[in-house]
Amino acid sequence: MKIKVDYIARVEGEGSVKFNIEGGKLKELKLNIWEPPRFFEGFLVGRKFDEVPDIVSRICGICPVSHMTTSIRAIEKAVGFIPSLEIKNLRKIMSLSQIVASHLVHLYMLVLPDYHRLDMLFSRENPPSPPFTKGGKGGLLEEIKRLIRLKEAVNNVTAIFGGRPLHPVAMVVGGFTKIPSRDEIGKVIKGLESIKGDALDTVKMVSKLHYPDFRNNTEYVSIISKDDYAVNEGTIASSSGIEVEEDDYLSWFQEEEVPYSNAKRTVMKGRGSIMVGALSRLNIKFGMLHPEAKKAAEMIGFKILGKNPFLNNIAQAVEIVHGIWECIELLDAFSIGNYFFKVNVREGSGSALTEAPRGMLYHQYELNKKGIIERANIVTPTAHNFMSLEESLKKLVNENIDKPKNELSLLCEMLVRAYDPCFSCSVH
Amino acid sequence: MYFQKHIIESITSFDIVYARMLKRGGNPHGPFDIALVEGTITESWQVDELKKIREQSKQLFAIGSCAIDGGIPAIKSTMPELEAEKKVYKDLSTIHSIRPHSVDAYIKVDGYIRGCPPGERDLHEALASVLTGKKPAFLQYSVCVECKLKGNICVLVAYNMPCMGPVTNAGCGALCPSMNRACYSCFGPMKQANGPALARKFRLMGLSREDIIRKFTEFGADTIEFRRVIETYED
Repeated sequence: MKIKVDYIARVEGEGSVKFNIEGGKLKELKLNIWEPPRFFEGFLVGRKFDEVPDIVSRICGICPVSHMTTSIRAIEKAVGFIPSLEIKNLRKIMSLSQIVASHLVHLYMLVLPDYHRLDMLFSRENPPSPPFTKGGKGGLLEEIKRLIRLKEAVNNVTAIFGGRPLHPVAMVVGGFTKIPSRDEIGKVIKGLESIKGDALDTVKMVSKLHYPDFRNNTEYVSIISKDDYAVNEGTIASSSGIEVEEDDYLSWFQEEEVPYSNAKRTVMKGRGSIMVGALSRLNIKFGMLHPEAKKAAEMIGFKILGKNPFLNNIAQAVEIVHGIWECIELLDAFSIGNYFFKVNVREGSGSALTEAPRGMLYHQYELNKKGIIERANIVTPTAHNFMSLEESLKKLVNENIDKPKNELSLLCEMLVRAYDPCFSCSVH
Repeated sequence: MYFQKHIIESITSFDIVYARMLKRGGNPHGPFDIALVEGTITESWQVDELKKIREQSKQLFAIGSCAIDGGIPAIKSTMPELEAEKKVYKDLSTIHSIRPHSVDAYIKVDGYIRGCPPGERDLHEALASVLTGKKPAFLQYSVCVECKLKGNICVLVAYNMPCMGPVTNAGCGALCPSMNRACYSCFGPMKQANGPALARKFRLMGLSREDIIRKFTEFGADTIEFRRVIETYED
């Protein structure tokens, strides 16, 4: 029996899962990321350093801030510019607000329909409120309205500092070109205060979904810091106890080409697959979460290192709480001052690791003395997750091999969605 | 105004026939009353697909700078294809990329919802026009007009910033100049923009030939308006 999901629905980008069952045994399974590649690492060569954040932002329409902050920090390292604590805190606000926005889209628009047996969250045939047409299940109006309230409040945070929530423009190498007024900041704080209840309701909602009982075997990896729940800067840590400096990334991780996929996949040298993202972050640095996020996790009985990748959804909901509360604290402490510094160009190379919504993201650049890019290297969270996702799919199929074809392929799709891949990022 | 505020009304005003990122299943073959096509064309099978969609659609709009002008992926057109490709893959035998092009290089388009990200005003305009049967009124002037309407100080004239606003289509609300920086043309060239005139101004401001080419190839490397500049300043 051959099963093909040619174009996996409700994920970012284009990919397929194909497998073959013969005599009750899984013969072969391939995750093929067939979205056409865009060659960012090719055409970045020859561009000037200050264009890079605006260009790499376009790798992704969901996590542009992550590609910007990562490239900015790598380039600043290359030219020897050290940003102030104030600038770092602003960048953290940008990253956290984007992580929350990304998780919201993923949980409500991409994941939730599966657990309500819907093809999409709502549509004309299946409107969110009465009158329901014949056969329409409807009824998710509360959830949809909550999503809109949450999304607007966090988008306003990204927009107030960046100019717009997607592909922000004020965040550049050297800092921020404009700082909002106290009044404007007060307004976004109020907005965040108003969605605290919605964030907690999201955790409750996600915790009540019936996740398949499943465990994967992989190493959870994330960046950590002794000062905070590391988002934009830290050292690499894993569930089996490694600790690696960001500058040593390439001696521990290896990106390899996959003959049947346009996306490359990354393994930990000599160790195998890794998983990155919200679940890995919670597994590794739960203690650093905001107290309210810890409380929310405890309220629903979330336990770390449970090894069920479907629970990445719950981990994302917990991070939504963390992001909102932490943003409020950072915004409360915000002071008007100088947030932009001129950067002097010099020859050099630099790399940076950050936590994008979907996990660890790596950028590395070499600049010549005129500030022109001579080499670029980008490794996305989905490349980090590729092998683990494929291994998990194989295990899931083997454990459910007797299920009917339709159910089995839906189950595979649900697992892919739980990993929250961004196929577009992976073929940057 | 965020488009998402109108998301319930918008989505429930249409039958979503096919949209894989939103919906499982669906019918990719049409027919469609309205098709929104995003993305740069970078592989040949996409050309076949695009032609089929055109034939099955009453109205087809290109949405976003990638579909309209080639966007960022079209920077690849500034160098020989192989040079860009071999920097990314060691084994190119399974990679089948072509030179990146805009959607209207292959098919007729009924309108452009410009921007990166696409302007919410124009998206709203396109969808509303389909429902009401009127012709969509897209913004067809430069970012400069938006700056004047906002009362911004001109960053090009007053601060000597190499602003692409004079040749860039409006729709962003003059975002970059409002945030104290030069426009980098993410909404793509305005139709019939005079690129060479702005390039001469940049030259007088002290920009190198390479700097000028980079300005005009970040968004719109493949457009008629910007190619005129590139050809002038290329070695």
